[in-house]
Amino acid sequence: MARIVGGIGTSHVPTIAMAFDKGKQQDPDWKPLFAGYQAVAKWLAEKKPDVLFFCFNDHATTFFFDQYPTFALGVSEEYRIADEGLGVRKIPRLKGDAKLARHVARSLVDDEFDLTVFQDLPLDHGVHSPLTMMWPSQPDWPGRVVPLFVNVLQHPLPRPSRCFALGKAIRKAISSYPEDLKVAMVGTGGLSHQMIGERAGFNDERWDREFLDLIERDPERLAQMSIADFARLGGNEGAEVVMWLIMRGALRPDARKLHDSYYLPMTTAMAVALFE
Amino acid sequence: MSYVFDLERSAKGLRLNRFLHSLIDAAQRKLFLEQPEAAMEELSEEEKDMVRRLDWRAMQDYGASFFCLEKLARTKGVSNPEMVAHFRGETLEAFLRTRRVPGAR
Repeated sequence: MARIVGGIGTSHVPTIAMAFDKGKQQDPDWKPLFAGYQAVAKWLAEKKPDVLFFCFNDHATTFFFDQYPTFALGVSEEYRIADEGLGVRKIPRLKGDAKLARHVARSLVDDEFDLTVFQDLPLDHGVHSPLTMMWPSQPDWPGRVVPLFVNVLQHPLPRPSRCFALGKAIRKAISSYPEDLKVAMVGTGGLSHQMIGERAGFNDERWDREFLDLIERDPERLAQMSIADFARLGGNEGAEVVMWLIMRGALRPDARKLHDSYYLPMTTAMAVALFE
Repeated sequence: MSYVFDLERSAKGLRLNRFLHSLIDAAQRKLFLEQPEAAMEELSEEEKDMVRRLDWRAMQDYGASFFCLEKLARTKGVSNPEMVAHFRGETLEAFLRTRRVPGAR
């Protein structure tokens, strides 16, 4: 049977990919960021999950507002890297686990999560900016991904409680998959940031630290908050942390946080946390 | 004003956002850089004017999604901190003085 071996929460800021691609590992401005990911990369190298189940959002790259799903599951064998305006990052295409993804799609719909499915679409930095910090991309990725798209751009957004419940349903789906697979959950986004309006540049480290504590200890409390609460506390764009709730919902309720790291250099608080 | 990108803003900004989004295509970026008026043919005069002036705040207020504006910014070599400074109504230098690691960009 497939089993969930742990979970990762991570920011997906595009400059993380920029710093990685430009080889800024030793640059004093970026070193703390890279240091924060080492424990996660080591854990993945040791646990060797076959699949990373990635709860992410697209940034009006592959999905556009003429047709905008709330939840959409990728069910392809392979995913191209999207061009977001600067050309395509020089990393290999991502390998999908189509068989597991199709099983999860059937299980979720049977569980009354009526999601969209997509295939043969490119993925943007929402997935691969954190991915290159955690998994080696050369000569090729060590495993496969199942991407779950979440609408955190165009309101109405799904309620945090719905995201948490979806995580629980994903746990049920993965646990009922007959193949002997190891799956790690990844929830992306945040932490505090606002990119628009007069409040652009807003952060709140105190709230971010509280979030990093609650996501381990009391995710139910986070799930009871509203999107407006998250936007007020963590900035308009910071409300995307509801994707961490999907990851957390798929873990055991008593999962423990093994590691976290927080770095706020510019406009977005960059955090990574590991749960088992 | 509220900057929440809701269905009303999405409807108002759809044509502008569609143009901004089209810049994920390399051929469209080339056309826009070489013959901007040809690339912007579908836009209204008001929309074209905001794009020509790279008036991020005006486009945002009009209904542009930040994530679509990013496509135009990348095409024109404008960074996110520059856009954020513009939204705040300050210079990039003034904005960077409020940041912990101004070089991290």
